[in-house]
Amino acid sequence: MTENHHFLVQQVGKGDKEALAALYRAYERPVYKFIVSRLNDPHEASDILHEVFMDIWRVAASFEGRSQVRTWIFGIAYRKVIDVHRKRARVTVTDEVPETGDVAEAADAGYAARQEAEHLRVCMGTLKDEHRSAISLAFYEDMTCAEIAEIAGVPEGTIKSRLHHAKKLLLHCLSGRIKGRAVA
Amino acid sequence: MTRSPEEIALDLPFLINGTLSEADKAEIESLMAEDALLAAEHDALAAIRSEMQAEEIRSPGAFGLARLMRDVGRESEATVPTRAPSRSWMWQAVAAVAVVGLLAQTFYQRDTGESETRYALASADMPGALVVSFAPDATEETIRMLLVGQDLEIVAGPSALGLYRLDVVDGGDLTAAAAALRRAPQIVESVENVEP
Repeated sequence: MTENHHFLVQQVGKGDKEALAALYRAYERPVYKFIVSRLNDPHEASDILHEVFMDIWRVAASFEGRSQVRTWIFGIAYRKVIDVHRKRARVTVTDEVPETGDVAEAADAGYAARQEAEHLRVCMGTLKDEHRSAISLAFYEDMTCAEIAEIAGVPEGTIKSRLHHAKKLLLHCLSGRIKGRAVA
Repeated sequence: MTRSPEEIALDLPFLINGTLSEADKAEIESLMAEDALLAAEHDALAAIRSEMQAEEIRSPGAFGLARLMRDVGRESEATVPTRAPSRSWMWQAVAAVAVVGLLAQTFYQRDTGESETRYALASADMPGALVVSFAPDATEETIRMLLVGQDLEIVAGPSALGLYRLDVVDGGDLTAAAAALRRAPQIVESVENVEP
């Protein structure tokens, strides 16, 4: 599969539109899912997805095959979303773990419950983009730490640290929402 | 090198997504057996991952692909006329001269009168239904095989930018020929239909 996708990128670099269409079919859904998880706006995510594949069309000839096609494409998407956030000059919602809240309590509170999708979506939305990206790549795409680090262009230790913070913030947020629902 | 429990615990997301090495996996599983909080976090994160993976999304799909193909086509058309001359256009010119010579000779042998007429028109009025540039690495033989195979002939060129004008011989299918050229990017760098 990897070699096949590598060949497709080479063909795209030579101007083969069918190869671009094949790459699109292979990566459209996971890349879109990754983008929308970071933007929380399906329409804007569609535009960014389009830009990602336009970039692939433009720069495929320079792809040297030193990284996997998947990490290369996700890397383009990663940077595109960063650009969007910069343009928005978006104010980060939070980066601190509040004093209140108890991870153990949150973990015991039964997050395995299937109906928590909405809580999860809301809580993901409270994370900084760098935290959300790390969580998305680790849990949507099941990527290794090395792959995520390559996409984000940071050391593996930074990714582990981001995931650690993201985990605490997510569990705290979910704990609060579960308690709120229980009181209501 | 021995890692601290705090360092080992940082691997928890990768235990959950199944990407840890066997050695690292054994290390964190051993730690979890002694640390109830870490085990609880594992269960919570595993549930979060399951929830995320089960999430249904409606991606742009076929509409997104159609949009992509449309814009790629537009961009290709827009960039062809402004393409910088290839550094090896002189080589291409030499190759094309050989092709022109071959085709002219072929026509001369088949029907002398017709070939002379066509060649005179090519140099005077710049006819042709397609404008192309050849890839720097394309050989005279590959260009000749491609053009002859598609009933195409060079009717003008090269221009200063290394562009050639092509036309189909009588009975040839211009649309099919143009499509065949576009499917051979290793030989033909750009193909543009001439506006009527």
